[in-house]
Amino acid sequence: MSEKIFEKLSTAVLEGDSGTSVETTQKGLDEGLSAGDILHSGLIVGMNEVGVRFKRGDMFVPEVLMSAEAMSEGMKLLRPLLAKSGVKMAGKIVMGTVKGDLHDIGKNLVSMMCEGAGFEIVNIGFDAAPEKFIEAIKEHQPNIVGMSAMLTTTMRAMGHTIKAIEEAGLRDTVDVMVGGAPVDQEFADRIGADGYGANAPASADLAKELVGIA
Amino acid sequence: MRANYRTNSGVRFQMLSEDQLEELHSGALHVLENVGLEVKHEKAREILEENGAWVDGEMVRLPSHMVKDALAKAPRSFTIYARDGNPEHDIHIGPGRAHFGPGPTCPNFIDVETFERRPYVRADSSTAAKVVDSLPNIDFCESLGSISDVPYDLSALYEFVDMFRNTTKPIVAWSFDYYDSNAIHKVAVAEAGGQEAFELRPNYVHYCEPLSPLISTTDALNKLVFAAEKRIPLIFTPCPLAGGTAPITAAGIIIQSAAESWMGLTIAQLIQPGLPFFMGGVLSVMDMSDMILSYGAPELPLMMAGHTELAHYAGLPLWQTGGCTDSKTFDEQAISEGSLSVYFSALTGGDLCHDVGYTESAMTGSVFQLTAMDEAIGYSRRITRGIEVNEDTLAVDAIHRVGPNGHYLKDEHTLRYYKSEYWLPNLCDRQSYETWELMGKKSFKDRTIARVQDILATHAPVPLSDKTEEVIEQVLADAEEWVKEKE
Repeated sequence: MSEKIFEKLSTAVLEGDSGTSVETTQKGLDEGLSAGDILHSGLIVGMNEVGVRFKRGDMFVPEVLMSAEAMSEGMKLLRPLLAKSGVKMAGKIVMGTVKGDLHDIGKNLVSMMCEGAGFEIVNIGFDAAPEKFIEAIKEHQPNIVGMSAMLTTTMRAMGHTIKAIEEAGLRDTVDVMVGGAPVDQEFADRIGADGYGANAPASADLAKELVGIA
Repeated sequence: MRANYRTNSGVRFQMLSEDQLEELHSGALHVLENVGLEVKHEKAREILEENGAWVDGEMVRLPSHMVKDALAKAPRSFTIYARDGNPEHDIHIGPGRAHFGPGPTCPNFIDVETFERRPYVRADSSTAAKVVDSLPNIDFCESLGSISDVPYDLSALYEFVDMFRNTTKPIVAWSFDYYDSNAIHKVAVAEAGGQEAFELRPNYVHYCEPLSPLISTTDALNKLVFAAEKRIPLIFTPCPLAGGTAPITAAGIIIQSAAESWMGLTIAQLIQPGLPFFMGGVLSVMDMSDMILSYGAPELPLMMAGHTELAHYAGLPLWQTGGCTDSKTFDEQAISEGSLSVYFSALTGGDLCHDVGYTESAMTGSVFQLTAMDEAIGYSRRITRGIEVNEDTLAVDAIHRVGPNGHYLKDEHTLRYYKSEYWLPNLCDRQSYETWELMGKKSFKDRTIARVQDILATHAPVPLSDKTEEVIEQVLADAEEWVKEKE
């Protein structure tokens, strides 16, 4: 019986079917399956397959986002139970577009993908000043801080933000990952980030690597 | 005299019908009137509201008549002038005239000595401008990158100064905000001989970029207001990604981009009626695997052609795009993507076609790609120039003279036309195998590199006047001071 539910869940995620994902997650809970099993044997199995197919070129970003959404909708039911039972979660990410930059979309795609990978996202929006990042770190104690910049004119603000986090004495508490159209590995290294994600799915992989669950 | 005789002086290219264009035009007006844009600039909102716009917080909707007024005020034909008065370097904007030039702000550059990709540095602006100055089919100058080794806020200013020194062709200048826009303008005006002289003979064009979807940003509008007040010809160009920040369909991305650009147009024409204005929009697809904005996709020239036709239908010149590639290196993909898009762009007569020389999806500028594209543009221009048909070109007299089994090589008709009827290649090889072998079996790529090196070794651009150099010295000193105070 549980096998059937797990399969239905992974298929719902693979097909980006949020309705079935939520329904089946609830059904599993009703039938007494543990939140941890539903997550690891159902939702994550589906999402892992999505990752494989995306890398192979058999799935494209719009489908991947639908899958990520199906996964995180199911997760909403599981999250409070998982927290109670002490099952290891992927972690928490504070995510924002840096000061001076109004580009919201890329960062939101990365957030969706990371949610799909099991992370909890604290989205601090766009045009976020270093102080806003620092406040969010203090309040939410994330494992990772994700920064995005879309323009060559605003990417340097990522460096300023990292510096400010250092000065606030919080740099050792978080890993910093950066991304955005003009950003590359060399730039990420130069400003002292811990990782660079070339696109949304790659950023979710990076986040998993950073917390050691890849 | 011939009656009821119609000529086509070039290749006819028209993709969309009048009906379709009217539909796109109405679509853009509909977006402005019913959806509206976020206008993040108080002064701009005030000006718009005073003139009939519906303003609700930052959201601004424009009644169609306001946009139509703005379209009617903007000129279709005007000239951007060479700074040294060389008429061959002037750019005459008008129907059927396509012009080409590089693009701005790539973080990287292909080093001209090592051929390696590395961060763009100050010397690269001079390099790009010198190459632009000497290539016959490149008409305006941008620098192919953002300078990484000067104070950050001054990188656009240093870039402009170094371009201005190294080419007399008109420059398209980008900037961060008010301060550097003003500094750039001081330099340009000094060379033009004062503000009034500049307004009569503008020697550069100002570039602003709003945000898709549907946001006129503060920076873009600060720059727009500045340019409009100083009567600097203006480009207002969003960079939407089909399927990401714009509808995935060509028609959808075209009307959204037109609406984004026409918001700028409307503000600019209210401040400075008759300001030369280029409708903009780099339209291409977001690659759904790698999530990049593709500069080599066939949809780019296709969407840009539709956008150009809409601009011309609305009576505006267009900021076109072509000669660019997603390829990381100077290879077959780079040449074929670039050549096809410049050819298509030339067919549309899109008025200023930029991004020639972009590689790696706009991440890396390359003067090698630029120089290779000069050849592709020459080739394309020969085709778009078309076939001239008149008594003399029909050559009946020459055919009489030469008759059966004669030859035309020495005929006066041949002597009169062979230089103008033929396009002479600079880089394409037509030698015999033996000669080619004797010359060292050089590939197109080898010859392009040799040409760039030759230009950089020998080309001496016409210098700026001493007076302008003095102004530059002062402007840069003031700017360095300003940056120090700022930090």
